Amino acid sequence: MIDPDSVELMESPCSLIVGTVDAHGLPDATRAWGVQVLEGGTQLRLLLATNARISAANLGSTGRIALTATHFRTLRSVQVKGIARVVEAATDADRALFHDFCAKCVRTLHEIDDTPEAIIWRFAPSGVVACVMTVDEIFDQTPGPEAGKCLTSSKATP
Amino acid sequence: MPHVVEGNAVNTDDALLPLSQIAACFEGLIPAEIATAAADGTPNVTHLSRVHMVDDEHVALSNQFFSKTVQNLAVNPRACICVVDPFTYDSYRLVLQYERTERRGPLFERMRRDIDAIAALTGMEGVFKLRSADVYRVVELDLVRAAAHEQEEAEARR
Repeated sequence: MIDPDSVELMESPCSLIVGTVDAHGLPDATRAWGVQVLEGGTQLRLLLATNARISAANLGSTGRIALTATHFRTLRSVQVKGIARVVEAATDADRALFHDFCAKCVRTLHEIDDTPEAIIWRFAPSGVVACVMTVDEIFDQTPGPEAGKCLTSSKATP
Repeated sequence: MPHVVEGNAVNTDDALLPLSQIAACFEGLIPAEIATAAADGTPNVTHLSRVHMVDDEHVALSNQFFSKTVQNLAVNPRACICVVDPFTYDSYRLVLQYERTERRGPLFERMRRDIDAIAALTGMEGVFKLRSADVYRVVELDLVRAAAHEQEEAEARR
């Protein structure tokens, strides 16, 4: 479902931001710390900070989730929307992905604006949990008037 | 005044933090992120080039396109944004409630100049155009725990 270019973007060192919503419609924003595209692009395994408790509670409540991945240099962005109901402990493979993702992001950001790597590392959480997201829709989110254009949807059209 | 929430646990002594104390987060050096929700509860998450501090309790967001974010806020006037201090990489989560829209005046002009500058820098003159300055009250403010904070606290306890 997710095209190869978007898979490459999401699995590269990039900005990963996550939106969830509680049962009363109050949204929450957090970051993701690594993503693995599964099942031919119909599912994502997503790493959230262990202290992203509001997002985790929202997933347990409504399951609604949006993920936007943005390339640090080009700002090319895609947004994926779907459902993720279960948040679980990270596996060894998840922790390896988290550390690799953080290290590559820190290096890339340092190369872009010369911020000392030690400062950028302050941003990273101490640990992650994982959730599996079923993908319903994909949008072009690259900044500009075309942002929000639907690229793929598994939802039935009315 | 916004309530300070740390580590996603509400500070019960009702401590207050004026936005001017985290003014560096509003310089526009590191993009912010915003999560909103549609009427049916579907979240949307995207980057913001800049969040403008209006005073110690209010921020303003630029409305440039009829984006999904703007559509969502029209039906559900609450948002969650995350901003980053560009010098310390400390991250803050703000819950916002819509208050008003300005289409003229000092705030509008300040934001228009800012957007014109960004458009000129990115070669997008004529594409980025400020339609309105939307002002929100900050109802919750949260220092997002990162590994560095936990380490500093552990050292302080020794």
